[in-house]
This record gives sequence, C-alpha cells and structure tokens, in this order.
Amino acid sequence: MNFIDVALASEAATEEATLTSEEGAAPAGGPLANLGINGTLLVAQFINFALVGAIVWFLILKPLTSKMAERQKMIDDSIDNAKKIQENLARSEKEYQSRIDQAKVDANKIMEKTTLAAAAATEEAKVLARKEIEQLVLQARKSIVNEKDIMSAELKKETANFIILALEKVIGEKFDSTKDKAFIEDILQKLK
Amino acid sequence: MIHIPTLAPEVVFHIGQLPVTNTMVNVWLAMVIFLVIGIIIKAKLSFRPGKFQNFFEYILELLMGYFDQVTGDRKKTMRFMPIVGSVFFFILLSNWLGLLPGTGSIKIGHAFLLRPANSDLNLTVVMALVAVISSHLFGLASVGIFTHLNKFIQIGTFIKSLRKGPVAILTAIIELGVGLIEIISEMAKVLSLSLRLFGNIFAGEVLISVISGLVSVFVPAPFMMLELLVGLIQASVFTMLTLVYMTVLSTAPHEEH
Repeated sequence: MNFIDVALASEAATEEATLTSEEGAAPAGGPLANLGINGTLLVAQFINFALVGAIVWFLILKPLTSKMAERQKMIDDSIDNAKKIQENLARSEKEYQSRIDQAKVDANKIMEKTTLAAAAATEEAKVLARKEIEQLVLQARKSIVNEKDIMSAELKKETANFIILALEKVIGEKFDSTKDKAFIEDILQKLK
Repeated sequence: MIHIPTLAPEVVFHIGQLPVTNTMVNVWLAMVIFLVIGIIIKAKLSFRPGKFQNFFEYILELLMGYFDQVTGDRKKTMRFMPIVGSVFFFILLSNWLGLLPGTGSIKIGHAFLLRPANSDLNLTVVMALVAVISSHLFGLASVGIFTHLNKFIQIGTFIKSLRKGPVAILTAIIELGVGLIEIISEMAKVLSLSLRLFGNIFAGEVLISVISGLVSVFVPAPFMMLELLVGLIQASVFTMLTLVYMTVLSTAPHEEH
C-alpha cells in the first residue's frame, strides 16, 4: 500500500514540478529549467550566499582567527622571551661560575700574599722587638750606671758631710766657708 | 500521501517580482543563526576564551589543520579562509538545518516552508561558480596574468617552440590541445561541485521524505543520522575541492628545462 503511495507521490512531484515551472520559479524550456535553474533565483541565491559569506567571515571567522593569531603571536613571543631568559640565565650562570673561579684564584693569591706578608711582618716585628729590647737593655744599663754614679756621688757627698760633722764634733767648732778655707790653708801649711 | 520534493525549489511567496523559495527561507534561517552566533562571538570575544568562544576556536583550529594539509602553508590557508571557511560552515549548517522538524512538513499554501538549501541547484551552482572563479582570481593574483592564462591558452609556449624545432612545435600543439581540455575541465569543476552537493542533499531529502511517509517514527532516525554524516561529508568535500582548486591555481607551473 505504502509503495503505491510512493509511486503516486512520484507522479505528483512531476505534476508539481510542471505547476511550479508554470508559476514562474523555473520557467519551462530546456534542461536547465527542468533542473530548477532560474536566472532570478540564481541572482537571489548569489546575494544570499554573499550575505552569508560576509556574516560568517566578518562576524565569526575573522574575529576568531585574528584573536587566535594574536594569541599565537603572544605565545610565540613568550616562548622566544623564555628562550632568551634561559640563554641569559645560562650565560649569567656561566659568568657567575667563571667569576667565582676567578675569585677563588684571586682569594688564593691574596691568601698566599697575606701569609707571606704576615710572615715578613712577623719577622720584621721580631727584629724590631729585638732591637727595642736591646735598646731598652742599653738604656737600662745606662740608667743603672747613671744611678750608680749619682749614688756614689751622693755617697761621697754624704761621706764628706759625715766626716765634716764628725770633725766638727771632734774640733768642736762649726765650720763655715771662711773657717773651712782657713782650716784647709792651715792643713796645707802643716803639710809643707 | 507521501510528498516527494521536486528538483526545483517551491515558491513560498513573492516579494514584489522576486519569488521566495523554501530553500531561500532555509538560507535566511542559516543567516539568522550565523548572525546571532557572530554577534555573541563579537560581544564576548576575549583573549582568554570562554566556553562558547573556545568551542568555535577548537572547531576552527581543527578545520585549519585540515586546510593546512591541502595548502601546505598557514598563510595560504588564511588567504583562502574567507571563501572556504564561509562555504564550509554554510553548507554544514544548511545541510543540518534540513533535518530540523518542520522541513518537509510545515506548509504555506501548497508549498512547504522549509527545504534544505543545498537541494536547490541555483545555490549550489552559485557556490561552485564562486569557488571556481575565486580560485582563478587567486591564481591571477598569485602567479600573474600571463602565467595563469598560459595554463589554458598556451600561445606563449607555442611561440617559444617555433625556435626549437619540429618536435618542440609538435609538443606545443599538443599542449595547446591540453590547454583547451583544461578550459573544459574548469567548466566541469562547476558542474561536478554543484551537482555532487545538490544530488547528495536532494537524494537525502527524497529518502527522508519517502521513509518518513512509509513509517513516520523510529525508522527515519537512522537515515537522519546518516544525513548528518552526509551533510558533514558533503561540506568537507566541497570545501576541500575548492581549496585544492585554489591551491593548484595559485601555484606557479614548473618550468621546462
């Protein structure tokens, strides 16, 4: 039953096509018209397609592709920057390492120099100290001699005074400079 | 009563002298959908995409990957994108719109309101013409007028051969013939592109109409699923062929040594 319907529908479609072509959608005549090709519809569909194309391109594809390109550019730039940063980091690390090595070498040199300088300074200080000690000893000796001289001079003076005092006691007379002079002259005359 | 669609689209109403067919209504529907999507995309376009933008970017990225395989160069893909991208999305949407409930069932007067846009040969011919003509325009812009025309009318090759001897002249005459065949093949491109798309979609519409007429529930579902696939395949085939034509014609021919 249904297949009869299909056959009938097919016939109806043919009739409808004839009717449609008579209405003006696809004017009869020629294979193009039988296929539904119509100049007016062709132009109308061209305008429709152009409009759809413009909408799809300007409202959807162009904004999306430009945003995607922009994002891609940013990613590329970021990757380039990351690479540059990595290169700089590697270079800096290399430079840092070389500077550290150089610093170690310099430090070792300085240590060597310092050790040598310290040894020299120690030696110099020793020599200086020895000299100073010798000088101190010499000064001490001198001062001892001086002290000794002063002491002996004082001792002599004190002894003389003591003798004078003793003599004064013995003689019972106070000696002054005139008496002293007279006494000395008297002694000298006695000696003569 | 089963309704089998006619080859020509049905006129739904007239705007002045212009007959408005049911396929044109389908095109306008697609246009409105694209317009809404476009407005949303434009409004929400952001450097950090949301779900909506991300979905379209994903599809576009996927599509551009396939296009790159044909063109071999992202720059070329981007040059052809306005045409091929629009063609792909339009064919896909209009094919799938043909599966909407109401297509082949809602009537205005004697005519059905909706019918798949690509079951109208006028539209497929227009798209095929745009594809082929734009491929020639890209060719002219890329390789120059004389090089491009020499692919079809090889007079330059013939004049050069006059100085090279009889064998070269014979080769040039053959190449002149080949050039003529190339011109015919360019016309064939329009025919094949338009008729393939039209045939597949029209056949699908007839199939669904007949199946729906025979058994209205469950049985048409697998065929509709098939039509979803056919819609995608036909959109891909039309787009890829357009892309191939554009790529071939915008590539300079190899020089003879």
